[in-house]
Amino acid sequence: MTLASFSSASRVTSIGRQTALRVAPTVALSFAVIAIVIAWSVAPSLFTGHSPIVGVPADKLLSPSTAHWFGTDHLGRDLYTRVVYGTASSVTSALIAVVIAAVAGGLIGLLAGFLGGRVDIVLARLVDVLLAIPNFLLAVIVVTALGFDTTNAAIATGVSAVAVFARVMRAEVIKTRQAIFVEAAFLLGGSRWHILLRHVLPNASRSVLPLAVLQFGLSILVIASLAFLGYGDPPPASDWGLLISIGKDYLKWPWLVYAPAFVTIATVLSVNRISRWLRKTD
Amino acid sequence: MAAQDRLTADTLTRAELIAPVPLRPLPLLRVDGLSVCYGPHEVVTNVGFELGRGESLALIGESGSGKSTIARAVLRLLPSGGHATGRVAFDGQEVLGISERGFRPLRGRAIGFVPQDPANSLNPVRTIGAQAQEAAALLDEADKAFRKQLILETFAEVGLDNPRRVYDSYPHQLSGGMLQRVLIGLAILPRPALLVADEPTSALDVTIQKRILDLLTRLQHDLKISLLLITHDLAIAAERANALVVLKDGVIHEAGRTASVFSSPESAYARKLRADVPALNPDRYAASRDRGFHAVKTGGGDTPKIDVGAVTKTFIVDGKTLTAVDDVSFIVPAGTTHALVGESGSGKTTAVRLLLGLEQPDTGTISVAGEQITGRSPEALRAAWRHLQLVYQNPFTSLDPTWTIERLVREPLDRFRVGTSKERVARVREALADVGLGGHLLSRKPGTLSGGQRQRVAIARALVLKPDVIVLDEPTSALDVSVQADIVEVLLSLQANLGLTYVFLSHDLALVRQLAHTVSVMHRGRIVEHGTVAEIFDNPQQPYTRSLLASIPSGIAGAAHLPQARLRLMATAD
Amino acid sequence: MSNAYLADAAKRLAQAFIVILLAYVLTFVVVSILPGDPITNVLRDPQNGFSEDEIKAIIAAQGLDQPIPVQLWTSLSHFVIGDFGLSMRSSRPVATLIAEVLPSTLILASAAFAIALLLAMTIAYGTQFIPKQLGQGLLRGFPSFFLSVPNFVIGLMLIHVFGFQLGLFRVIAPNSFWATFFAAVALGIPVSARIAEVLIANLDKESEQEYAAVARGRGLTQMRLFAKHLLKPSSLPVVTVIALAIGELLGGSLITETVFGRTGIGSLVQRSVSTQDLPVLQAVVSLAAVVFVLVNLIADLVYPLLDPRVKLVDGPRERPSTADDSATAKSAAVTS
Repeated sequence: MTLASFSSASRVTSIGRQTALRVAPTVALSFAVIAIVIAWSVAPSLFTGHSPIVGVPADKLLSPSTAHWFGTDHLGRDLYTRVVYGTASSVTSALIAVVIAAVAGGLIGLLAGFLGGRVDIVLARLVDVLLAIPNFLLAVIVVTALGFDTTNAAIATGVSAVAVFARVMRAEVIKTRQAIFVEAAFLLGGSRWHILLRHVLPNASRSVLPLAVLQFGLSILVIASLAFLGYGDPPPASDWGLLISIGKDYLKWPWLVYAPAFVTIATVLSVNRISRWLRKTD
Repeated sequence: MAAQDRLTADTLTRAELIAPVPLRPLPLLRVDGLSVCYGPHEVVTNVGFELGRGESLALIGESGSGKSTIARAVLRLLPSGGHATGRVAFDGQEVLGISERGFRPLRGRAIGFVPQDPANSLNPVRTIGAQAQEAAALLDEADKAFRKQLILETFAEVGLDNPRRVYDSYPHQLSGGMLQRVLIGLAILPRPALLVADEPTSALDVTIQKRILDLLTRLQHDLKISLLLITHDLAIAAERANALVVLKDGVIHEAGRTASVFSSPESAYARKLRADVPALNPDRYAASRDRGFHAVKTGGGDTPKIDVGAVTKTFIVDGKTLTAVDDVSFIVPAGTTHALVGESGSGKTTAVRLLLGLEQPDTGTISVAGEQITGRSPEALRAAWRHLQLVYQNPFTSLDPTWTIERLVREPLDRFRVGTSKERVARVREALADVGLGGHLLSRKPGTLSGGQRQRVAIARALVLKPDVIVLDEPTSALDVSVQADIVEVLLSLQANLGLTYVFLSHDLALVRQLAHTVSVMHRGRIVEHGTVAEIFDNPQQPYTRSLLASIPSGIAGAAHLPQARLRLMATAD
Repeated sequence: MSNAYLADAAKRLAQAFIVILLAYVLTFVVVSILPGDPITNVLRDPQNGFSEDEIKAIIAAQGLDQPIPVQLWTSLSHFVIGDFGLSMRSSRPVATLIAEVLPSTLILASAAFAIALLLAMTIAYGTQFIPKQLGQGLLRGFPSFFLSVPNFVIGLMLIHVFGFQLGLFRVIAPNSFWATFFAAVALGIPVSARIAEVLIANLDKESEQEYAAVARGRGLTQMRLFAKHLLKPSSLPVVTVIALAIGELLGGSLITETVFGRTGIGSLVQRSVSTQDLPVLQAVVSLAAVVFVLVNLIADLVYPLLDPRVKLVDGPRERPSTADDSATAKSAAVTS
């Protein structure tokens, strides 16, 4: 009798392994894009021989060619080099934003969902307020208060996303708290904190990972928008949003907009694809 | 009918070969060499059978047997990704290969469908009437008022008391039994020649189950409809169908007339299936059960292990007071099994939560092993749980999916700080061995285990603290019948070896009869009848108990009064 | 409409009012407490050309010499009776400043909202009828693609293609029909992507429900199944994302107005940000919160009337951002 159930179980795992191995080509491509982006931000000098700051005035506003993949800007700087050197700032600021949002929001949601009662009412109201202010407007207000630079823009972006994480975490915690296995752990002698940390938190966090990845992509967009409005580091920094902002004054040479835009879109698309893949494989 | 002329010479000769009866009437449904794949996984392999006009055939199998997939393939309602090959001929017309447009006229009009889960089978945001009108539209009847009249008549025909109220209701306002009657009504309204019923009663309470099955049988005879019944329950199938097809893992293991398959199954799988159905084998575990029974008779002098005295619990729901448990008392002698039997809403789940101290009763007392459970502090309750454990109904939700089996079974030892860590590991292995699981599962997570294995893990978790009393909340109702038999064996051998006392919750009287010593029948929060198994089953006093007993499918009632089956089966050998 | 419904509606109204007040307080706290003293720094900026006396007068007029709790209390008590105070930069009433630019933003946002809804419905409903072989995947890819494009890039592309290349409109005349239209398209596309995403997810969820299979088994065509069965339950939850969408339109107008050189709430915010004009920022944020809360309130009050399953008294609903919210609600409702 046991033999039969063993064999069916091993079939389940083998199917699981097969699907794990067979990753959709778009997902593989997305991981490749993210790998390149990470490499650019870690060691930009490996990918280009030009300087991101000093240009050759004679070479200004050249169209894309084999010498200058993305062309050159109004000061004769290689645009590809500027994009590569701008990656680190664009990516780390998005990372800062996600960490702030996930940690603060996750904590608020965890406490609200697990403690319930008055704590929940107060925290839920706070989240309501944060949700009521349009995301981007909130980010603008916060960056205004903190002062204009890219790190502050990242913090502002993180603050504006706290509510999203708090809400999802709270819903997940409440769902998990009502799960039968939580009551089972209680009956088997588990204390409140043991259940919170060992059962509720790991299960509730599972859906936060895809959300964090998704938020990473969104943060890139929001930070680019803040940089576009001039709330990030000033030139000669070369954040992607800033590059597009500079390019908009030279629409006769459209690659100044399209090249950094293309890199931004490709990155965010890849991140979103990975997030969806994570949600499905979970 | 033009469709009959389309029968190809090839099928004729094949039909002739299989059935050398001259002028045999054309079967209404003929499935031949049917296989269904989802991507690279074949879930149904080379299945064939025939169903004659006005007759009934049951596809029987456990989960994963492909029985519902076959029904969906015949109805051409396979979920996206499913692909069927082979031949399905309805009324002589090949229907598997034809276009959606060509098949649609058959839907509803010629082939009706009664689904498994009535609660999700009607659109929740539209009235019953609006959806009934869709079925009535298939009648080519122009007058809307007349169509409504027909709908109301059909609702009355399927036993709905107030057709007008039903017509104006939304699905969430009706009970599961009423919804299933509505769905049957919608299916028979256009007077189809074939009715496909996919586990039509498995989501319903036992007494309702019998009434719905009676309704289907009556309609089948009155309206001369052919019935393709999909079920996991061999006893129900034998009672309701002329012919049986037994499936396992998408392959036919046995097929034939009900009388022969049921009374003298030839394949090993059909024999095991028959042996595992509790309703057909009430005394299967009599020997091991009676050892405990002896204790009931002789152990009168000892204090009972569990003593529940006049317990009442009310809840306030939507401003109304609901008495979930009403003046309930029972005692359980040590080493025996007491069954709480009841349908949904009977209060048995609340009774168990009170017993475990998860809820406090309004009045009454509960003691386990001489210790009071009622009115205890949470800390004191925690001490009581060392001796009093619970196994949940659904092993798919009662184990934390992020933990390994080893950690799950060790958790109670860690929490109660039992022994050294070395001893704990040994006890985990011991508990797993007690429930028949090997040590190689220790590092796995619940998601990679089968349902039966998970329930064994849940039992091992309860067992590892060496409790005296284990409460079993429908521990097998989420499992297949053959897995259920395995779990019951494990439970009985643990009781015999360790002297455990069980409180066993169930809606399944046949299962209760196999393993319990004493029984309390609950209905609307009250215990309507209690006694030993023999007293309750052989001499029930209350009408409710009798109706519960009558709803146990016996496997013989139906087939006898049906016309002799003329259909032939092509059990595909492989 | 039952008494319980009205009582609950009143409770929600009170809650909405509290949220708006808190949003006002939050903005005040963020802008006036976090940094050191940017306001006087801005005033003292020689470029602004205020004399020391003028600065003192402005500070006194704004009550900036008062302790912060007193400042908060004063401005809050004015806010409650609809008085937004004076702009720090121009000393004109904030209400007048907003009233001047509001119509332009309203036109842009409502046009963008109409475009977003239309586009989202076309994409989402299209997936139900376009077969897999004929580019259904392309249609399904639209929302995730447009959610990955910064909305200023969409605006710049539209200007480049339709303004520069095709000469359909001129950037120097930002209020012409075509300029407004393309600005609305740029603003509406990301919003439409969000709505389409929700719609498609709901449609997929509903098509997989057993009732859809049963209805198909009743001989319904795909068209009737969609119109009679899937349309309503899949579109209902969209009512609850509309408030979020409108918030996004307001936030997005900051960018779009800059890109297209329009005046409006967005450009007002931009100006106020660069001069740290706290009263204006507070007014705009509170206004956005009022719009958000009101739209949400209306959605909450209307929803139970549209969906027979939902009762208002069930408590605040989670907006269906993920497909399994309803499953959560169901599992929460299951008791023995």
